[in-house]
Order: sequence, then structure tokens, then C-alpha cells
Amino acid sequence: MNIEDIFNKAREEKRTVLTEIEAKQALTAAGLNCSDTRLAADKAQAAALSEEIGYPVVLKISSVDITHKSDAGGVKVNLKDKAEVEQAYDNIMKSAQAACPDAQIEGVSVQGMARPGIEIIMGMIRDANFGPVVMFGLGGVFVEILKDVSFGVVPIDKNDAAEMIAEIKGKKLLSGYRGQEPADISYLEDMLVKLSDFVDKTPGIAEIDMNPVFAWNDGAVVVDARIILE
Amino acid sequence: MMELFFKPKSVAVIGASTNPKKDGNIILQNIIDSDFSGDIYPINPTAPEVSGYKAYPSVKDVPGNVDLAVIIIPAKFCVQAMEDCAAKGVKAVIIEAMGFAEVGGDGIELQKKIVAIAEENGIRVMGPNCTGIVSRDIATTFFPMKNVPKGNVVLIGQSGLLAAGMASDIVVNQTLNVNKICSIGNKCDVNENDLLDYFGDDPETEVISMYLESIADGRNFVKIAKRAAAKKPVIFLKGGRTEAGAKAAMSHTGSMASDTKIVEAAIRQTGCVKADDFTEIKDFAKVFSTQPLPNGNRVAIVTAAGSVGVVVSDICAEHGLEMPKLSPHTVEKLKDVFPPNMPPANPVDLWYSIEKLGLVKTLETTLAAPLEDPGIDAAVLILAGMKYTMPVLDEKTVQKITAQYKKPVIVCMLVGYNEYKNRIMEELGRDLPVFTSILSGVKALSKLCEYGVRYHRKNG
Repeated sequence: MNIEDIFNKAREEKRTVLTEIEAKQALTAAGLNCSDTRLAADKAQAAALSEEIGYPVVLKISSVDITHKSDAGGVKVNLKDKAEVEQAYDNIMKSAQAACPDAQIEGVSVQGMARPGIEIIMGMIRDANFGPVVMFGLGGVFVEILKDVSFGVVPIDKNDAAEMIAEIKGKKLLSGYRGQEPADISYLEDMLVKLSDFVDKTPGIAEIDMNPVFAWNDGAVVVDARIILE
Repeated sequence: MMELFFKPKSVAVIGASTNPKKDGNIILQNIIDSDFSGDIYPINPTAPEVSGYKAYPSVKDVPGNVDLAVIIIPAKFCVQAMEDCAAKGVKAVIIEAMGFAEVGGDGIELQKKIVAIAEENGIRVMGPNCTGIVSRDIATTFFPMKNVPKGNVVLIGQSGLLAAGMASDIVVNQTLNVNKICSIGNKCDVNENDLLDYFGDDPETEVISMYLESIADGRNFVKIAKRAAAKKPVIFLKGGRTEAGAKAAMSHTGSMASDTKIVEAAIRQTGCVKADDFTEIKDFAKVFSTQPLPNGNRVAIVTAAGSVGVVVSDICAEHGLEMPKLSPHTVEKLKDVFPPNMPPANPVDLWYSIEKLGLVKTLETTLAAPLEDPGIDAAVLILAGMKYTMPVLDEKTVQKITAQYKKPVIVCMLVGYNEYKNRIMEELGRDLPVFTSILSGVKALSKLCEYGVRYHRKNG
């Protein structure tokens, strides 16, 4: 499905929030490397997709009505074999239905466990005056408590992206801290530019969250993503 | 189109008054006192003549063309005046009257009507709630203004503080070599984007310094300011950056403040030089308009007071400036003016030499040698308001030395007696940036270095 079809489907269903799978499809189409994430409508399909993707895998509840998946008990990680996947599927369904009885559930998303890296957040919001604005920050406590993020007004070029990353107070973490592998900064810059180009060309997006992105010394991957339409 | 504001061939003052205390009289007088040589038409419903010029009851009655109309009548009459301008075919209007969007309520409606007439008739409107333009070519402010310099700096502002207080200070005290001061008030039509576009291309303008309470059109601002800042330094102070500031902005010129982080991102992206205070938009402009762009950030401190060295080093480091060792060649040149037991170093301490040779002779060595050093990009000269400094003013020593080297020099003046301090500020301050604090001087220099490094990297 191309981006337009994804957006149209959501609008027809009177949704402004895309599912994780839809969001990743759209971002993949925009040239961003997202973890391979597929929808399983039932337990058997979840097991089959897990076999295909390769263990360990992550299962997440897929429902347009459930935005806080972890809070609803809808996320199980590091599932190492078929039995664990099937068990996880049952648990997810049970707790999601308990937490959100009215939610319409389309199944679970199945994705591989991403190779760990430095946790990054990238995103976009629409400012009433400046239009779309992209954001970069370090994930976890850095974004939540220290609000260590920087912005760029769309469109940005690679130089702007470099300055955005350089502006982060915790930027030293990106160059390898206590044995942590350093991040591929040039790759992150390219990601920001691609995100900027995407929102610049694509009307109708209100907000994007790519959180977390795992940054490695040879690229990065979008592990979770959310897109909210206007 | 913007030419009509800055270089009109004819101007009408709607609300020209025969009472010399009224704004409508002062504006007319300012235009008369400027170099403006075109036709001047006072518009006054009853007076046959104002300040020696034949007056007309309406702009529609003016016999010739009117390039620019300045409106200074109560807000409720401005709509009619705009309609008259439209009928007359006027294409540039400055509305200085207050009582529009900045007061809310009916004022907002009045401003909307003005905008509608302007759009329908292709009229560009500056203001309302502004003082328009201060320049040698034409001055439309309602504060008396004479002998405006024909310099290289343009100041743009939304507030009366800049347009009135700072303008008088700058023009009367000759503290900044301005070319134009523009106050654009509520920005119902002409906004910073129009001016940045115009002055970015204006060969007379070498430095733009700007104070805004709001950004009218963020998306275009980033593009236009980036283009202007690539050609010349654009210094930018944005008010309304905090919650408190935003509230003040709303009650002041009727504008909304943008979110702090996004505005800061926009400033960084455009390559504008960010100022944090009103004095800085003037101070930075002074440094940028009088000093050459350095190639790097290596600074020599030349000081009449040796004990400031440690503090200066800290402040330089905080602002990204380096204080390197002087080259052996420079040290050699300085040896004679240093006591035998005290090797020359950076900061260059002048006291021994001042006592021995006097300040003029001292500076001829101690300021010149570091500026000659290829390892030094800029210098901070620290002077004292003492009698021994006065010959340096009389002989223009600092000006003569700095003219020989294409390296920026700023002066900080820390201590001394007012009679001497004032002379330094006034006389040396005309030609060079003189600061009363090391912090503000070093900060301004750091902005110049940052810009210079960036500029040279981009332009080779």
C-alpha cells in the first residue's frame, strides 16, 4: 500500500491515528528503515509469522482503539519459540480485552527483536506559524525528564540536521560512552532529512513519533512509530 | 514596491497639524528636516497651510501623484483615510495611529477593514501603531529627528522603545552608524519578511538588526531570513520567548508569541545572530558594522589592568573564544615594554609600560604586535577612564592602529572617573565598539567570530 492509500483507509474509517504497522509502512515508503512488522489476525498466523521473521520476536496488540499498548498489557518481548508466542498471544488478548473492553482488535503485530542500540527519538509536529517542524532527541530519561531535544523547521538540509544533533546536550552519548558503540551520525542526519522531506511533501500529517529509534554504528532502525493525521 | 516607502517622490501627511506639539506636526517637520526633496502635501481639513506647505482637506484633493501617505489621525477615521488613498491611487501607506489590533475589540475590526481596503487596491500598509521610518532620505516618526546618519546599519522593530528611545539615542549620540530605523508596529501587511527581502538586497545595508515580538509568517520567515543572513549579518532579538514574555507581547502590540524552542530552531537555521537583550541588538550591530570579520576565534587581551586576566579567560572560554599563547616573534617584540622579570604573555599587561612610556607609545607596540601575530584573530582592549588615557583619544591611537590590520578589536572600559569614561564612550565609541562590561564585550566579539568562521567556511 502506498502512503495515500494508507491515509485514505484511515480517513474512511474516521481515524486520525494510524496503527503501528500503517505508520511503519508509510515511513518505510519515505525511505526510513523500520523494523519488519506484520499483522497476525489470529494465534496460528502469529506463530507462522514468528517462524518466518525468526526468533526472538515481539508481539504487540494491534488496535486502533488502544494507543498505550504497554499499559494495556499488550506488549510481549523476547519471545524465543512457538510456545512462547502462542502463550504471549493469549495473554495479550486477555489483558487487552480486560483493559479496553470496547476496543476493536485486529490482531497482533509481530516483529523481530531489534539489535539494541542508542535509544533515539525523532518526530514531527505542526506549528501554527512555522508549519511542520521535525524533532531530534535522545530517548528514555533524556527526552522525558531532561527534555533534551532540538527542532528544525521543515524543510531541513543535512547541515541543519547536523546542527540539530550537535545541539543536544547529551550528544556525547552518540559518540560512544563507556563501551557503548557510537552512533552513525551521518545516517541519523539522513533520517532527519528524509523525515523532513516526507512531511514537506505529504499534507495532512499532524504528528509523528518514531520512538524509539535504535542507533547503531552502521545505521539505525525505527522500532516503534506513530502517525497522527490532521 | 518597498521603494515607495523608502524613496518616495511625493508624500502626504494625513493629519498634519499646525500645532507644533502634535504628532502630525512633528512628522511633517521630520520630513522637511530630512533630505527628502520631493513634493510634500499636508492633509488638514481646515488649515490652508501647515509649516509653510499648502495643505489640502483630503488626499484626494492633492494635484499631483502621492507615492506615500503617512496617516496620523484617530483610528476611527483611518478607514476613511485609507479609502481616500485608494481613490487617489496611493500605493504605500504608513499608519502611525494607535487603537487597532493591539487594543483588541473594535480595534481588531478596524484593522481588518484597513487590510481589506489595502488588498482590494494593491496598497502596501506599514503599521498601524508604528512610527514608520527614520532615515536621512525620509523620517516619518513622531519624535523629533534630525541629521540621521547615512550609515550601513538597518534596525527593524515592532516596539516604540526601539523606534523612539533607541532611535534618538543612536541618532543624537551617534552611537551607531544607522541607515534606516523601521518600526512596523502591528504588521497588518508589511512585515519583517518584506523588509528582510528588501534590505537583504539593498547595497547600502551591510548589517540588519531586528527586534520582533512575533513572527508574522514563520515558514516564509525561515526561507527569507536564511537568504538575507547568507548575504549579510542579521541580528535578531525575539521577545515573547517565555510564558511571561508571551503575555506581555499580547497586551503590547497585539501579537501572539511562538513556542520558544521552535523560534530558537528557526533562528539557528536561518543563520541569524541571536541577541538576548535590547542593548545587544545595538551592541552587536555596532561590532558587526565597524569591525572586519575574523577568520577564527583566537583572541589577544590587551589590558591596562593586569588583574582582569583570569576573569577574561573564563568569559572567553564560556563564549567559545580561545586565548592562545603569543608567538615567539610577538613575545620578542613586546619584551622591551615589559619589566625584565615578567615575560610578555596573553593577556598583555600594559601597566609597567604605561608608567614608563605613556599609553600612546605603549599601544603602538602592545596593541599592534598581537594584531600582527598570525596566531591571533581578534583583540580585546581594556582601558581605564583615567587621565593618562586621554592622549589616546586626542591622537586617535586606537583607530590608527586598528585601521592597519584587518582584525576586529573591541574595547572594554572598566574603571575610572566619569569625565574620562564619558569621553572614551563618546569619542572612541563613535568609531569602535566600547563596552562597560567585559561580559558584554566578549559576548559581542564571540558572535562576530562565530559568524566570521561560518562565513569564511561557506565562502572560502
